[in-house]
This record gives sequence, C-alpha cells and structure tokens, in this order.
Amino acid sequence: MPEARRPLLDPAALARLGNLRLRVRSIAEGILTGLHRSPHHGQSVEFAEHKEYAPGDEIKHIDWKAYGKFDKYYVKRFEQETNLRAYLVVDASGSMGYRGHPDRMSKLETASALAATLAYLLFRQQDAAGLVLVQGAVAGAVPPRASASHLGPIVEALEAARPEGGTRLAAAVDWIVEHAPRRSSVLVFSDLLDPDEKVLRKIAQLGLRKHDVTLFHVLDPAELEFPFDDPTLFLSMEDGRQVEAHGRDVRKGYLEVMGRWLAEVRRTAAEADIDYALCRTDRPPDEVLLPFLARRERSAA
Amino acid sequence: MSLGFVNPLLVWGALAAAVPIAIHLFFRRRPRPTPFPAIDFILRARRETERRLRLRKVLLFAARTLLLAAVALALARPRLETPGAAAAAAPRGPSATVIVLDASGSMRYRLDGRPLFERARADALGALQALSAEEPATAVICGSAPPFAEPPSFDRAAVRRVLERAEAEAAHADLGACVNAAARALSTPEAQGAAGKRIVIATDLAASAWRLDVPPAAIETPQGRARPDVAVLDAARGAPLPNAAVLGLEAEPDPAAGPRGYRITAQLANHGKEPLVDVPLQLVVGAGKEARTVIRAFANVPAGGAAKKQLSYAFPAGGPAALSVALPQDALREDDARSLALVVPRTVKVLVVDGAPSPVRFRDEATFVESALASAASPVRPTLVDAEALQAQDLAAFDVVFLLNVRSPAAKAGDLTRFVEQGGGLFVALGDQVDPEEWTKDMGPLLPMPLHVVKTAAERGASGARAARFGDVDFDHPALSVFGGDAREGLLGVRTFRYVLAKPAARGPAPRILATFDDGAPALVEGRRGKGRVLLFTSSADRDWTDWPIRTSFLPAMQRFAGWLAGGLDDRRDAPTAIGTARAVRLEEGEALAALVGPDGRERRTSELEREGLREVRGGFEVVPREPGLWQVKVRAGGQERLAPRLAFAVAPDPRESDTRRLEPAELTAWFGGAAHATVEGEARASRGEEVPLWSILLVMGVALFLVEGLLLA
Repeated sequence: MPEARRPLLDPAALARLGNLRLRVRSIAEGILTGLHRSPHHGQSVEFAEHKEYAPGDEIKHIDWKAYGKFDKYYVKRFEQETNLRAYLVVDASGSMGYRGHPDRMSKLETASALAATLAYLLFRQQDAAGLVLVQGAVAGAVPPRASASHLGPIVEALEAARPEGGTRLAAAVDWIVEHAPRRSSVLVFSDLLDPDEKVLRKIAQLGLRKHDVTLFHVLDPAELEFPFDDPTLFLSMEDGRQVEAHGRDVRKGYLEVMGRWLAEVRRTAAEADIDYALCRTDRPPDEVLLPFLARRERSAA
Repeated sequence: MSLGFVNPLLVWGALAAAVPIAIHLFFRRRPRPTPFPAIDFILRARRETERRLRLRKVLLFAARTLLLAAVALALARPRLETPGAAAAAAPRGPSATVIVLDASGSMRYRLDGRPLFERARADALGALQALSAEEPATAVICGSAPPFAEPPSFDRAAVRRVLERAEAEAAHADLGACVNAAARALSTPEAQGAAGKRIVIATDLAASAWRLDVPPAAIETPQGRARPDVAVLDAARGAPLPNAAVLGLEAEPDPAAGPRGYRITAQLANHGKEPLVDVPLQLVVGAGKEARTVIRAFANVPAGGAAKKQLSYAFPAGGPAALSVALPQDALREDDARSLALVVPRTVKVLVVDGAPSPVRFRDEATFVESALASAASPVRPTLVDAEALQAQDLAAFDVVFLLNVRSPAAKAGDLTRFVEQGGGLFVALGDQVDPEEWTKDMGPLLPMPLHVVKTAAERGASGARAARFGDVDFDHPALSVFGGDAREGLLGVRTFRYVLAKPAARGPAPRILATFDDGAPALVEGRRGKGRVLLFTSSADRDWTDWPIRTSFLPAMQRFAGWLAGGLDDRRDAPTAIGTARAVRLEEGEALAALVGPDGRERRTSELEREGLREVRGGFEVVPREPGLWQVKVRAGGQERLAPRLAFAVAPDPRESDTRRLEPAELTAWFGGAAHATVEGEARASRGEEVPLWSILLVMGVALFLVEGLLLA
C-alpha cells in the first residue's frame, strides 16, 4: 500500500476527527483510491449516465441521439439492480467504550467508523444497508434502504450511540431473524465480551437462515497485550465488579486466557462459516476493510 | 560452644530485616483504578495462578528479609566460640598487660602489598588503645636483641612510642624468650596491683619463632606460679605465607670450568604448597654499580621442599670478587638472594728449573711438572729453563720457583733466599743429580729439613720388591684439602722407589710435614722463610724415582702447591657473616674506615655506624650489619676515599626466618594452657575447630538469596 494514502487512514489522525461523517469520508476515500477501478459496469435497465465510447464497449449501447447532438459517440450506462441487503450490527455496550490510550479511538468509535464506511460503500454500489445498535437489548435500529441519502440516519444513530449497559448480542440476532425476510448480509461489530459464552453459536444461527455473516471483532491493543506493570484496581465497564491485581503477576495468565479465547472464537467462526476479522483499534481501518471488500468482490464474481 | 561477634554493634543491623515488612505495611502503593473490559479474563487468570503467585510472594518476601538479615549479620562477623575461648576473651577486670611485638625477619613478609609488621604494629596499637584506664601496660619488641620489658606502667604514651618506633629486623627472633621477658615484667611488684595478667602477642605465627618443647612462660605471684592470659593477634589473618628462598650459597673451584672456574651451589627452599617450576635464577657477579648478571638459569623446587642448583662460572681475572644468586622477588625479599665474597686466585708465575733436561720428552725432568702446571684450567703460567739459565733469571718476575733435580744452585742461593724471604715460593724436588750433602751445605738455610742420604725402597722392576707409599698425609693442609673421598686413592697409591732421607732441623722454625712415606720418612715438608714458603719433595718430579707423575693426583697437587707457595690459597673464600652477628674487618696500615656501603647501595658514614654499634678493634673495626646482602667497605688512605674490594663481605639472612610455615593456632593455644588461657585472633579458625567462619556462610547465603529473588522476579 503506497505511503501517500496512509494519512487518510492513520488511526491517530482518525481519532482526532471528532465527526463520524468526516471519518467515513476519509476512510472511504482512502479505500477507494486503493481499489482497482473496474472496467465492467453492471447490467441494468435503468439509464444512469453517458460515457464516451471506447474500443471494446458494446456497439449496441451507443446513444445515437447523443451522436446526433454532439457528433461524438457516447455509450449509455445503466444502474445495476439492487440485490444486496446488509444489516450492520454494532455493539454499543459499556465495554465498547474502552480506549487503551488517549490517542486511539474507543472500540465503539472504531466499530462505528467501520460500519459507517461500509454503509457508505454499500450505498455507493446501490446496495441497501440498515443498522442495529445493541446493548443489553436492541437499543435502536435503522431499516435497510438502498438510497444514498439513507447514510444520514445511520451516521446520526451511530453518533448518538453511547457505550453503556451490558452486552447481549443474542437480542440483535433475534431482531434480525424477525425482521430480515430474505437472504441478507449481516455485519457484526463487537468485542464479543458477552456474558453468554455461546453467543457465537447464536450468531451462527443466522447462517442457517442463509444470511451471510461477517464478524468484525473489535479489540483494543491493551486487551491483547495487557501492558500493566503496577498494582491496579481493574473496574468492570458493564457492571459493578472490580478486582485488584498486580499487572506483572497476572499478565502471563491473562495472555494465556485471552489467547485461548481468541483461538476459540476463530475456530467457532470458521466452523459456522462466519467471515472473521480482528480489528485492532491501533491499526488503519483499511487493513480490515480492503481484504473484506476484496473477498466480497471475489465471491460476487 | 556459643555464638560471638567480632563487631557486636553491627548486630543491630539485623533490624534491616524489618525493612521489607515496613515497606509492605506502610509504603504499599495504592492500586490505580482502571476501567477494563476483559475483567473476566483477569479473574480467570488470577484463579488459575493464585496459589503459585501466593507462594512466590511469600518466597520473595522471605528472600528479601533473609537477604538483609544475612548481610547485616555477616558484617557483624559472627563466630562460634568454645566456652573456654569465650571465657578467655571475656574481660575479667583490670589486667596488667605486656604487648609483645614480633620484629623478626619473617615479619617483613608483604601480604597484599603491606608488610606483616605494619599489620602487627596496628594490632598492637589497637590492643593498647583497647585497654581501660585501670590497666597498666608495657611492650616488648621481639627482635635480634635480648628481649627486655619495663615493668607495666600507666604511661601509655611511652608504650605507644616504643611500638611506633619499632622496626622489623632481618634477624631471627625467639618469641618464646620474648614471652618469658613479658612474664618477668608481669612478675614485678608494679604488676601485682592488677587482678589479671595478660600478654598480647602480635605476630605472624611463623613456627620457627617458637619452641614448644619447653615449658610455657609463667608469672611469679605471691600465691605462686600462674599462667598469664595470652591473646595472640595473627597479623597474617590466617592466610598462608608461601615463600621461596636461597638458603645457602657455596663456591668451589672447578677446574672443569676453566681457569679461575668455580662451581657455585645454591641451596633453594620452597615454603609453599605449590611447587616452583622453572623459576628463574640469576647469578650476579660484582657489587654495586659493577654488578652484572652473568648466568640466567631455571630451577625446580618441590612444594615444601628444597633443591640444589649448581652453576659453573669462570672469573675473567683473579682477585677479590663478589657473587650473588637471586630468585625473583617474592613477598619476603630479604631471602630471595644470597651473596658471597671470595678471592679468586691470581695467575701464578712459576719458574721451572729443569735439572736434567732431555731431548726425549718423557725422560725430561720437567715434562710432567710443566704439563701439570700449564693445563688448560690452571691459573699457573710456567716458564721452563735449565739449570744454567737459572743464573740469568730475574726471580722478581716470578711468584714461585720449582727446582727439579738441580745439581747445585749454589751460585743462585743468595738470590733464592732473598726471593723466598720477600714472599716468593720455592718447590724443591730431588733426583739423581742432587748430592744431599752438597745441597744441604749450599741451600741449608732455605731447606725445611737438611738432606741426609738417598734411600732405595725397591728397585724398579725387581720382583718381590715393595715400593714406598705415602703414609700419613695431612689432608687438612690447604694444598692437599682437595683430595677427599675417592680422590685420595690417587695420592695414596703412589709408589716411590727411591727418596732422600731428611734429618731433623737443628735450628729455625719447625717444619710442617705434609706427608710421610710408610716408613715414616718425610715425603713432603713445608718450611717458612721470611714471608715466603719452601716445599720439599724428597723424591723426584719425573718417573725416575717415583710413579707419582703418572698418577691422577699429580696434576692437582702441583697446581695446589704452586698456588699455596704463591700465597693464593690463604683466604680464598670468605664465609658469609650471619645477620645480627659482629663482623670484624682488618685494615692495612695507613688505611682508615670511611664508610660502609650496604646492599641497598646506601653509604653509611662512620658517625652513623657508631650509633649502630661500630667498634674499633686492633687492626680494624667490628660492626654488626643489620641487612643481609653484600657490604662494601670504603677506606680512606692517602687522603683519598676508595672502595676496597678485598674487604667486601657478605651477610647471610637467617634461614629460620625464611621458613614461613605457620603454627597451628590450636597447638599454640594448647601450649599456653588451653583455651581458658589463650586465644588466637584473626582468621585462626583452627583454634576453634571450625572449617568455615560463619560470616562467610552468611555472605554465601546472602548471595544465594539475591539470586533467588532475581529468579522469582524474572
């Protein structure tokens, strides 16, 4: 990836952008300059725009009226038919408010930026996208639509979300099962710190209903590396629990537990055919989004 | 057995063990509240490692506490003491104290660059300072002088001055005698006022300074004899004192080494536990600025043993000479070299007068004598003339004249007499040309004994005839002293067929008969005439009358006779003076002592020497040199001062002081009456029967705990 593109996606720079819209624009532009421009436009019946003829274009699509007006060959281009409906499930529980370093975005901010950016990209290719915010229960939902103007309500809902309460992703799964009538794409943004240890199996039920599930596992580096050396009073972010421990004493054990859990999550996701991506809040969003989009493109082709 | 401390005050340092507890209780850091999402994982990790963490915490806490306690206690130097030793060390009220400071040669041993004597003096001053105001004290400096101690007094400054002015000597000291002197001082009425009697001995525990086969010192008190309390302060702190030394040095003439050749034998000793392998050894010839190394060799000396090393060296010229054999300098430098002063025989010029020359070499009268005198290693330079040429010879150009079967030297008799009386030597051998009566008439005043008649013991070649052999031989005579052991056979086996009988001298000094024939007739007779000597051999110097010329003893005998008659064998080697003993030096007329130059090159003028005991004796002076090595004498003669090489003398260190093997503290303690009466301070572990001092164990523990703490933290 060329270095020139990095400023747009630098996590610290994104963290300084207080506005989610700006973040979405910045991330999307960074990603779009990285994607190869496709020479193939979708086949659709609805006219979209003109394009100057180039060798290789279908002759039948030449707009002869335009030729009469401008004395130049223009080819008609058509809007592709909308065939994707995506649900962006964003975990807004208390634990998602964690920010391991002041220069980094919180996990919820990272999840929101990723979700909004994907919504923008989906709208841009005429797909429909909706939003489900989940805490102890479903805290808010925006039904999926394919209009570009639908990005506004989604971004507003994400900006309004505050990290609080417990995590219950099962509520979101139930909501989607209830409201998504046909095959959809479900994109889950969560740290998976759910009291229900079988939450992944619950998410996997969506796959049984032919939904295409992608899991964006959002974690802060401090959760992965546990950089605490001193005696620390750890406070739970979702309930009143607290535990006093010497960081140096428990680091080894913590990292072992964390490693086992991550391995378990990956294994379960793979078994349930869930697309899994680990999103560190200190890494540029394109590291997650570009591979994801590339996979989508390959599967669509 | 009880626990004691060398530095009891430092035991308070053990309170440092409370530091970790205090830190834990009072300076514990408050945990920083931190919201964290994955608190479940921390709880799970803690559950899994809780027991291990708790155990590690306890171990860490214990390690830190014990580490501080061990270091603090080690600084206090704990030791296990037997009850007796503890009782002896414990104060028993005021004691009259005599401090014995060992100032013997071995105290010059440098341990870690500092002489043991300085350590011992510091110990002695420390012991003096530790005395309470009620304790009278005195001091004995144990050197070469007879030990003497003033009665104990309260004049501490005087005792301090005595200790501070003391110097370690190179001589031997008898510590037993010094302790006896201390005991005598404690027996004086001045010491009877104090309840206890104590002797503090600051020494290196060298075994050679003690005689444990005699009863230990006792104090006379009104109640009878009593043992004093003895505290031995070990200046070496228990360290072994390995030492290599040159214990002896001898130089013997060695014809195999050429003219003026000597065989130098150095006796080496190794008082260490490691053998000395290929240790460099130097032979240095000359003194002062003219000293130069002539031989570099290597020697091996077994651990705790001795070895001899022989070196051969030929002096380029005769006269007074000095030589030293030196090992590399070690911790005790005084015995690393030995010196020797000697007089190397000068070239002896001999006029050989052949009374019966012959063109056939083996029939010539002087063939055998000339060959013997002119051999390669001989210092003798013979000039051969016949009897007629004798008349024209200037005898003053020679040291010795050999008259071999000369018919009658009547014409030269006057010259020969003057020659001998002025210090020349004359050797006379007879033969068929000699008429005994005529010879006695012409040369009577010179001959040691008048000649009588020729006696034939046996005809050469006659069957059944028995030739005469040497009977009594004076092997103590310097000219014949070289014949020892098997070499005597070469002399005693000589067969003589004919010889001249001699008559007893009627007047003049009595002759000295060096050898007789087995019938008692004189064979070799020496006489003194004026300053010179005359040696008469009553048989021939060729094979006509005797087979001595073809015997192995003939060559050395002729050379020795020439040397003896020339006065070259008189004082050939000067035995070194033992350190601490008086040395007499004879000066010639017109000479006066100006200064002595010591082994260190420093000149000591007569004024300084007089303070050190220089004494004038008849014909010279007597001095007691204090340093081992080669001393040179500077004389004043004719208004000028010059070094007189002939007067240089060597001073040998006392070999007992080279023996730095140490006494077992337990042995010394037992000799003084057991642990109830004596202690040995320092690192004298053996006195308490311990192999390892406690403080070192504590230090090892401390290091181990430090490592354990590091492992627990890792």
